Amino acid sequence: MQVNVKIKRFNPEADKRPYWAEYQLEARPTDRVLDVLNEIKWEMDGSLSYRRSCAHGICGSDAMLINGVNRLACKILVKDLGADIRVEPIRGLTVQKDLIVDMEPFFDAYKAVLPFFINDDPAPAAERYQSPEDREIFDDTTKCILCAACTTSCPVFWTNGRYLGPAAIVNAHRFIFDSRDQGADERLQVLNQPNGLWRCRTAYNCTEACPRDIPITKVIEEVKRELLWRRA
Amino acid sequence: MYRGREGQWAFVLHRLSGVALALYLLLHVLDISLVMYGPEGPFNAFLAFYHQWPFRVGLLMVIVAVIYHAFNGLRIIIMDFTDWGVKVQGPLWYGVLAVTAVIGIPVLWKILPEIFGGA
Ligand code: FES
Repeated sequence: MQVNVKIKRFNPEADKRPYWAEYQLEARPTDRVLDVLNEIKWEMDGSLSYRRSCAHGICGSDAMLINGVNRLACKILVKDLGADIRVEPIRGLTVQKDLIVDMEPFFDAYKAVLPFFINDDPAPAAERYQSPEDREIFDDTTKCILCAACTTSCPVFWTNGRYLGPAAIVNAHRFIFDSRDQGADERLQVLNQPNGLWRCRTAYNCTEACPRDIPITKVIEEVKRELLWRRA
Repeated sequence: MYRGREGQWAFVLHRLSGVALALYLLLHVLDISLVMYGPEGPFNAFLAFYHQWPFRVGLLMVIVAVIYHAFNGLRIIIMDFTDWGVKVQGPLWYGVLAVTAVIGIPVLWKILPEIFGGA
């Protein structure tokens, strides 16, 4: 089928402001948007810039704003979008070139919540046992691939780039509710800051955007309650 | 425009109605407080000024905003304090809109004719 692709492009060395570039090409309905972008880059205009690596929805490189919603270019099919496809960089982070944004602020927020196992007790001889039930509690939040689709879909993040954002809270949840971990207090303290957890206004865009189907708003609310009851 | 769903629009309307109500309340307190200058003071003049129809229409919007903000506030409380609220937030929002309409429309029905009847 013939597709009409509009891409919001920007080259800081040549352009004053972003502009829409249009490309017409043949695509199969089962092609992914990433295939279409590759076709444009490889056959039509080599200057088009975007990130991708695995092409299988696991590295988190290619979150983009596609037809008005954040998604992974490697997971959304042409047939689910129709013949008119609009691709923009994700919002709230500085565009470096075309679809490439500066991810550093996003990773800074991620690092701020101490997203690693904390337990200073000497390791037991065998294992740090965890029951399947206890493991289940944070199962959803182990699935994050740090693509930033959630954080950059959040209206609060668009207007306040210092908000830690849903991805950081998801990864805090991953360890706060891990029965073997002992760093929950430290993490909750970080999340209790003015630009932390309480900035969430439950707009649900994150939940809709997550390519890993993490029920993000649900887990954010769980962390909110945890913080609330601990303080009370 | 980001193509968000129910949650995004619930949030946008909640914020807009919240800011509008805060501004309204400020204005309201300020001009009610003018009453302390007595009957000869500016209070009556302001009141007459506010009786013009654009302000009356504004007042209707204040009523609708109060209803929406109150009931969506309950929706948010349910989401914040129960573990099932988040799952039903979409239907809950339609419920909020329905309640806003059910309460709002009779109010408009009652007040609109008074406004344009010039009473
Ligand atoms: S390219 Fe790796 S997630 Fe899409």
